Amino acid sequence: METVAIPTKAKISLIAITKQYITPRTGQTTLAVSDVSLNIQQGEFLCIVGPSGCGKSTILSMIAGLTKPSSGTISMDGNAIHGPGRERGVVFQDYALFPWKTVRENIEFGPRFRDRAPLSTAARRELVDHYIELVSLNGSEDKYPHELSGGMRQRCAFARALANEPDVLLMDEPFAALDAQTRLILQEELLRIWGEELPRDKRKTVVFITHGIDEAVFLADRVAVMSNHPGQIKMEKPIGLPRPRNEGVRLTTDFQKLVDEIWQLIRHDAYEATIGKAGIKQA
Amino acid sequence: MSLEEKTADRTSSPRASGVPSAVSTMLIYLRSMGIFALIWYAGAWWIGNPVLLPSPVAVVQSLFSLIASGEVASNAASSLQRLAMGFAGAALIGIPLGLLMGMSRILYALVDPLIELLRPISGIAWIPLGMFILGVGETLPTAIMFYGAFFPIVINTLIGVRSVDERLIQAAKVLGVGRSSIILNVVLPASLPNILVGLRLGAGAAWTAMVAAELIGAPSGLGFAVEWYRELLMTPSVLAFVFLIGLFGYLFDKLLRALQTAITPWANISREVI
Ligand SMILES: Nc1ncnc2c1ncn2[C@@H]1O[C@H](COP(=O)(O)OP(=O)(O)OP(=O)(O)O)[C@@H](O)[C@H]1O
Ligand SMILES: [Mg+2]
Repeated sequence: METVAIPTKAKISLIAITKQYITPRTGQTTLAVSDVSLNIQQGEFLCIVGPSGCGKSTILSMIAGLTKPSSGTISMDGNAIHGPGRERGVVFQDYALFPWKTVRENIEFGPRFRDRAPLSTAARRELVDHYIELVSLNGSEDKYPHELSGGMRQRCAFARALANEPDVLLMDEPFAALDAQTRLILQEELLRIWGEELPRDKRKTVVFITHGIDEAVFLADRVAVMSNHPGQIKMEKPIGLPRPRNEGVRLTTDFQKLVDEIWQLIRHDAYEATIGKAGIKQA
Repeated sequence: MSLEEKTADRTSSPRASGVPSAVSTMLIYLRSMGIFALIWYAGAWWIGNPVLLPSPVAVVQSLFSLIASGEVASNAASSLQRLAMGFAGAALIGIPLGLLMGMSRILYALVDPLIELLRPISGIAWIPLGMFILGVGETLPTAIMFYGAFFPIVINTLIGVRSVDERLIQAAKVLGVGRSSIILNVVLPASLPNILVGLRLGAGAAWTAMVAAELIGAPSGLGFAVEWYRELLMTPSVLAFVFLIGLFGYLFDKLLRALQTAITPWANISREVI
């Protein structure tokens, strides 16, 4: 409640965001996101879950500054967002690593080529070494992305975003393409890198999109549940599970309860999005 | 222990299998060349007229004497020099033009119709007019080669820019990288495989067009030599120069392919699969 009363205090705030896509071929309009308002606090780990096509990627892309909202404003630290910027790092679902650059060159891309305050070769080397170490890619620095496993690519994309030292990390289903074991390991690793042990003002602010409700509950301080037609935020659920979190937390009844509660909320929408309305009536 | 053995096996096996496979490719190559020479020999014997079709032995003999007399060197030098000029000119203008066309809708709309109009017209079609304007000399074959190389280079560069993954540009943007830096460090390297394909196709087209231009419009060169010895009815020398045209064309492509592997190592995988 307090956060709503003083919106300027939020790290990122979305006010009445609507996004309408127009397909040039047919002139058909799609209302992807409708009247979404959301405040994200400094150091908060926010997960967004919702059925396929409800506008999660669209919201992330608007925060990143890659897509403009049709109406409403998005601001960071009280300043309106007009385009992409170094202070908001993105980890794309398909990683989007530069195929002609090695792991090391990918990670140093931001510090080297960004417009504002690029680093010298020596400073870059130290920084990149640090992040290679952090995501355990030592020994693979000189490999090209096509020579990496899926999990290694993911960690490289993550390190590339981190090495540019953004305040905010935007992640769009970063673990979706990974196998279950790798995903569990990377989830814990992500919490460690995010700064679970640090005080709030030292942590990065994270917006994390996922299809996995258990993943969202495991990671998040708060889960925003979205619904379809039109894309709206149905509920914001604070996750009070104690930190630091580890595998054990998944077995607790609190965890199971939260997962179940969120699942009940999106069950209907999820069925509708995947098997169509007819399927639900039969079910 | 068994694990160690396995890893050792795996690292050494490509080398071990690599040598015999190189030898066997060589054998296959030699075998098909041998069969070709045999058919040729039989054909020459059957026709029985060395002006129409000399035997391979006569062609090899005249090739050696042409090499000894320095005629091969001087004619190859003038052809290759024209290739270098025409091809370099086409690359220097074609690549930047393709890049700009890929990034600017206005320039594309302006230039593309012209390119599409000219592209189907072979360089050879311009030779008569070219002789009229430029006369016999260095300029005509060089200009025809430029023309031949230009379109494949522009079009493939354009395709390269058009097919740059939008995601990669977004990835650079969210890292705070500016427009000119994105062009230099994302658009250019991402288009590089296509640009190199364009260069190879352009070199091939230039070489083909050059021979045609030299046949009638040049005082020297491999194409000129072919025509010269045809008029003298010295067919073995004609065939020797025809062979050299093929050989140099092949070697130049080989060189560009090596360049391709060297400067786009990340694109090598897909090339091996195809
Ligand atoms: N560039 C676009 N042009 C037209 N419509 C679009 C475009 N991008 C997204 N949409 C539409 O907007 C809606 C929301 O898309 P979005 O990608 O944000 O969904 P999502 O929640 O990320 O889905 P998923 O979970 O499957 O990734 C969809 O109906 C989609 O068809
Ligand atoms: Mg999405």
